[in-house]
Amino acid sequence: MIVAGVDIGSLSGETVILSDDKILSYSIVRTGADSALTAKKATDEALKNADISFEDIDYTIATGYGRVIVPFANENITEISCHAKGANYLFPTVRTILDMGGQDCKAIRCNEKGKVTNFAMNDKCAAGTGRFCEVMADVLGIALEDIGKTSLEAKKDAMISSACAVFAKSEAVSLLRSGVPKSEILSGVHEAIASRVFALLQRVGIEGDFVISGGIAKNIGVIKKVAEKVGLKPLISEEPQIVGALGAALFAKERYKKG
Amino acid sequence: MILQHFEDQESGIMNAIKKNPESASPRKKLALETARLGKRLYSNADDLVWAGPLVPFDLLNAMEVTPCFAEFIASILVSTDAGPLFFENAEQAGYASDTCGYHRMLMGSALKGMIPTPKLLISAMSPCTGGLAAMENLARVFKKDLFILHIPQKESDHGVRILANHIRNMAESVSSHTGKVLDKDRLRKAMENTNKTRDILSNIYKLAQQVPSPVNGRDLSNFGIVLPLFFGTEVGIEIAQSFYDELKSRIKANRSGVPGERIRLMWLQNRIQFKNNLVKMLEKEFNASIVIDELNVITWDPIDPEDPYIGLARRSISSPLNGTVERRVKQIVKLAEAYKIDGAINPCHWGCRQGTGARGLIDSSMKEIGVPVLNLEVDCVDPRNFAEGQLITRIEAFMEMIESRPSPW
Amino acid sequence: MKDKSKLIGFTCAYTPLALIDAAGFAPYRILPMGDSPDQAGHILHENLCPHVKRVLDRGMQDDIPELSGIVFMNSCDTMRRLNDAWQKVRPNDNTLLVDLPVSNDPGSVSFFAEELALLTDTLSQWSGNNITPERIENSIGRYNELAMHLNELKKRVDNGTLKDGSLRLQTIYNKAATEPIKDVMEMIKQMIDETNELSDGGLPVYLFGNVLPDPEAFVLFESCGARIVSEDLCTGSRMTHSIETDKSSDVFKRLANGLLSRTACARTVDPINPGKMALDVVERANACNARGVIGHTVKFCDPYLARMPSVRDALKKEGISFLLLEGDCTMRSIGQHKTRIEAFIEMLR
Ligand code: SF4
Ligand code: SF4
Repeated sequence: MIVAGVDIGSLSGETVILSDDKILSYSIVRTGADSALTAKKATDEALKNADISFEDIDYTIATGYGRVIVPFANENITEISCHAKGANYLFPTVRTILDMGGQDCKAIRCNEKGKVTNFAMNDKCAAGTGRFCEVMADVLGIALEDIGKTSLEAKKDAMISSACAVFAKSEAVSLLRSGVPKSEILSGVHEAIASRVFALLQRVGIEGDFVISGGIAKNIGVIKKVAEKVGLKPLISEEPQIVGALGAALFAKERYKKG
Repeated sequence: MILQHFEDQESGIMNAIKKNPESASPRKKLALETARLGKRLYSNADDLVWAGPLVPFDLLNAMEVTPCFAEFIASILVSTDAGPLFFENAEQAGYASDTCGYHRMLMGSALKGMIPTPKLLISAMSPCTGGLAAMENLARVFKKDLFILHIPQKESDHGVRILANHIRNMAESVSSHTGKVLDKDRLRKAMENTNKTRDILSNIYKLAQQVPSPVNGRDLSNFGIVLPLFFGTEVGIEIAQSFYDELKSRIKANRSGVPGERIRLMWLQNRIQFKNNLVKMLEKEFNASIVIDELNVITWDPIDPEDPYIGLARRSISSPLNGTVERRVKQIVKLAEAYKIDGAINPCHWGCRQGTGARGLIDSSMKEIGVPVLNLEVDCVDPRNFAEGQLITRIEAFMEMIESRPSPW
Repeated sequence: MKDKSKLIGFTCAYTPLALIDAAGFAPYRILPMGDSPDQAGHILHENLCPHVKRVLDRGMQDDIPELSGIVFMNSCDTMRRLNDAWQKVRPNDNTLLVDLPVSNDPGSVSFFAEELALLTDTLSQWSGNNITPERIENSIGRYNELAMHLNELKKRVDNGTLKDGSLRLQTIYNKAATEPIKDVMEMIKQMIDETNELSDGGLPVYLFGNVLPDPEAFVLFESCGARIVSEDLCTGSRMTHSIETDKSSDVFKRLANGLLSRTACARTVDPINPGKMALDVVERANACNARGVIGHTVKFCDPYLARMPSVRDALKKEGISFLLLEGDCTMRSIGQHKTRIEAFIEMLR
């Protein structure tokens, strides 16, 4: 049995292909203006990586904010349920998940089966999202992939009082003008992000093990700050960006079996 | 911890005055009495009642029950080190950051056990819905009774009559919760004290109107809202008298509050409750003085000591914190003229629907009399997002604008 | 000169509609709908509830029928400010602010009864009609009948035996708030005659909150897999209640008591039982066997914001899952919550 999970987020799209319980392949592509096209692109790439064709897939589930626009999906399920499912597959002991996506940020609690028991979502404010990091990287003229590393060079945090993207941006600009090193500004930005997501986590209650997923999980500066606040070492998978798509694929397997 | 804070404050002020009697000032006197009140609140020795700001405190003082209102205690707690922590507590417990900081502070500290348990809580729908809700929440947390005083919006005889009756019921309820009785003679005495304080206050405000004004931007901050806690007491008279004497002596010595006063300002709503440099900056850079705070005003007649309830009811109903914006605006315009102000600053305290909600309406009325208004966006209680730099820039621009235009008077 | 309109505007579910009816007027609720441009924030302040801001926007844009007057209730700070702003932007309208106590203790009931008597005088001036006690009693009778019928319909919706129940019920509520009572009765009677039709599936959910008049919102809840088995909203079931008809006591007292004692919204407080609202939510959720509770409130609404922590606690203690949504009365803002609602239902399945 071969199934696929497709996660269409605001910044990127991912597809995971499973053969029974094994990950056959995955892909990550940047989201274009057309979600349906993104889904197709991601899935084509995953198919190519697995060296199989579209007809080989028995069942597909879409997730992510573009989930309803994936034309070839059999069903769709929210990214909340999918992240819990995916994280549970990768780390069966997980009970708390922090997903920091491109446009929103979620704290999810789940049981030993990977079923959601509580969640909180922040989609009103950009803090804790990929978009926020992009804006900051842009202001400081540092490549997005490098901001985590750069921030670790800081000797102290610059004071970024606001986690609101608009204000934080102008604060960063004025700090930069007054000669504060970029590393310290970034470290301050990461601190602001960490306090925001920590508050979100507290809303659902934190219990170990603790997993961080989503694109920002690749930013070691943020991870370090979050870990300090939470007091637990977060588990991060090799490819934290595909957890949602993986969960969707796992659901696809279950649903296909059920008929 | 909070008790300690008040004790330190009291002894600190007393020592300073002992060492240097010259340094005694009315502001210190007020701080000292405030610290003493705080000590009483936190030492559990007294019968304590939490009440909304429009509840007649003098009546409670006459019963020897210690009254306190939310805004007051919140403004004190915010200046302690734990201030920011209390806000975080409140938000964690689900009290939205969209609500008024006074109430968030109150709930956050109450949940941490930092608010003394009262015998009874008294609330009213004025000034604000959020305040009533905060009292209800406190009553739930403390498992204490709640008395709701319905203050009518309109200044009508029938409203006054009903409120007068209701205040009577309130006194009974306080009695049954504290075991303290309302003695007729003490009530009469308290009302006489209130009237004396009122007279002195109105004289103070007359002095403050002089050009240049003997007050600087700090002398009378929070005055009109805090002093009522001492209404009905000798201490209230003493505090008021010390301010009056000070202003009188400044006038005699030909000393204005802000040296070389050039710009006269009105501050709308309450002040910013945590430490900041805005007022000093106004004085230093622009010789500007906040000569009048919106709430430093007497809107009521002396109270008849023989039959105080009608007078007390009228006082509550006539407060600028109650009723329509039309009434509030009329009052503000009257103050603007009496104090000959060049401009007004509205902090637009975040989360205050009743006060900040009237921003646009106040603006347009002030425009009609040619007084410019600067609208800020500040949370006057929660310092966590305070962006002083940005505010200073905006205030500077406002001052430059005022300097470049002829005075409206 | 044009004939005076027969409509009286109102904006709050605590308005005594029977008195407006008795004056020979039809009450017209200015619902926060339509797409007038946002201007209210400028007249007042942005951080006020979008319910009031949209109502004011409609007034400013003249997106309302001609009214003979508007009755505002002093239900909260923001409503009070709406009354103030209205006079500024529409100085020629007749308006009246009716004071509304926050509790139903005897003192408050008598005060409110006096306010209602004043309202009656004002309405009689606006209409030129003499509002006799019989007229009031007749109107109370009519509104009691409406309440009864709506309540029956609601029961069928709650039981899931009316086709497209919650969508159609909301449509009727909106009509009841804006159209003459006899037209509404006609419609209801037709619906009552329909045969039962069991609606399919959906997870039973109890919905409470303040302003959610758009029937489309209920379609959305259903498309996410929820079935609303009971609702408590100020644009829904809280608009109707019945008034005592025993003529031996004063009619205004009965009206006052009926309004202050009906299912409470967050702005009304029971001083004997602080925090009662949270217990009410739990009780109602249990009564309708809901698997979960959804709260929907408009932003910046102090009465609800202040009570949410206690509601959350109380539901948690009972082990009932709770989803809180904040909106601004537009379908767009509710649509943004689709993922949350779906995830909530997935979690409960
Ligand atoms: S600032 Fe406004 S909302 Fe806050 S306590 Fe005062 S009146 Fe109430
Ligand atoms: S929604 Fe809330 S704030 Fe707005 S008018 Fe209603 S009770 Fe008042």
